Amino acid sequence: MFGYVRPIRDRLSPEEWALYQGAYCGLCHALGAGYGPLARFTLNYDFTFLAILLSPPEEPELRPRRCLVHPFRPRRAADSQGALALAADTSMILTWHKLRDDILDRRGPGQMPSRSAALAIGRGYRRAAALHPALDGCTRENLDRLHRLEGERSSSIDRTADAFAAILRGAGGEAAEERQRRVLEELLYHLGRWIYLTDAWDDLEQDRRGGQYNPLLYRFPDGPEGHREEVGRTMTHSVRLCQSAAALADFGPWQGVVDNILYLGIPAVQELVLSGRGKELRRQKRRGDPPLHRENDT
Amino acid sequence: MTDPYSVLGIQPTATDAEVKKAYRELARKYHPDNYQNNPLADLAEEKMKEINEAYDAINRARSGAGGGSYASGSQGQAYQRQSYQGSALYQQVRRCINMGDLGQAEALLQQAPSRDAEWFFLNGSLAYRRGWLDEALQNYNTACQMDPTNPEYRQALSMMQQGGYAYQPPGYSNAQGCDSCDICSTLLCLNCLCGGCN
Repeated sequence: MFGYVRPIRDRLSPEEWALYQGAYCGLCHALGAGYGPLARFTLNYDFTFLAILLSPPEEPELRPRRCLVHPFRPRRAADSQGALALAADTSMILTWHKLRDDILDRRGPGQMPSRSAALAIGRGYRRAAALHPALDGCTRENLDRLHRLEGERSSSIDRTADAFAAILRGAGGEAAEERQRRVLEELLYHLGRWIYLTDAWDDLEQDRRGGQYNPLLYRFPDGPEGHREEVGRTMTHSVRLCQSAAALADFGPWQGVVDNILYLGIPAVQELVLSGRGKELRRQKRRGDPPLHRENDT
Repeated sequence: MTDPYSVLGIQPTATDAEVKKAYRELARKYHPDNYQNNPLADLAEEKMKEINEAYDAINRARSGAGGGSYASGSQGQAYQRQSYQGSALYQQVRRCINMGDLGQAEALLQQAPSRDAEWFFLNGSLAYRRGWLDEALQNYNTACQMDPTNPEYRQALSMMQQGGYAYQPPGYSNAQGCDSCDICSTLLCLNCLCGGCN
């Protein structure tokens, strides 16, 4: 969906990197197996992190698997059942609703990319929604709420972010165990709030030029750029609440990856985006999507 | 009871100093300050109790070496009814926020006859509990302007102005909030991000 939630590769141990890559490839296979080859395009870093958070705290089995992107040299992928299948279902539901939302936002030919994408994953979405009706309902309800707030030109960054964050919190509700569910709900809420604000800042220029709604433009009518520190502080606060929540869960062998993302990756991305260099993240994504796969080829 | 050494994440062969160090680190991690008015405060308190008990058990077994654990009381729990003077309505609001009954707290606040400093403080606490950090900050700010000497309001505002607290595990100390390091770490991170995905 966005791709802001990523690890710092150089600070991962080789074992942790193998795990992360295993989750990334495993999620891609889970998408392909559950929803067909087109669904693999919904793969991104954010959902990989979700898959990791939903994974049981035990050593995953990594098996070499081939795919279209890597037909010759197989990649070690985590088993696509369980947490990865769950993350794949979530990915289908969230992506489809996001596309529907984009269609509502745009008029005319601007809708076309989203329309075709929504059409392509429509069947998969319906299957995922039937599996997780509560998550589907929660996503629909909150995106509608977000849409209403945007229509009202809300000046509250909290309330708009809340509608988005509540969707991610809903994904945590799929965790089986009570304690883990509470921790994940809190963690995902603030992760969602952070993603929403990061995206809003990243889109400032574009939204100002296109006359589109951006909560930061209404919260700071004198220009959000003059309030960079303030925005950064509230974003950091959300990140810290994610960290405090994560400290209460046991991620087993995934701990190093989770910590890397929460303590290093996310703050680095925030710094990039707030200093107006968010483009660098996207350029990277376009050049080599899916980016992580290429790493070992070079 | 679980093995106290595994609770602290150390071997039974650990020296007294290592035990103390492990305990201190975990006590910092689950410190109530990190979980003020947090929906997970009870889980953190549980953890704190666990490590306190483990530390005490080890010390007892080692015949009283080292000092005692931190008090496992919840002095950091923000809105305990301390020596609190306030209207019955506000007391009820505090109870609701503590229990996580946010809808009720909001309804009660709407009934308040006037909007004084405490009203803004409680409205801020309610916003905070919801994760609405920007509104929490604005409300705490107003509360402090109306009653600049109240330590409770000032403490809440100062927490917001620092962007909250969280334990930073060793080895992950990043540059959050440290301007002079920001530039280097960002360059480093940028380098790694690109290197990692190229």
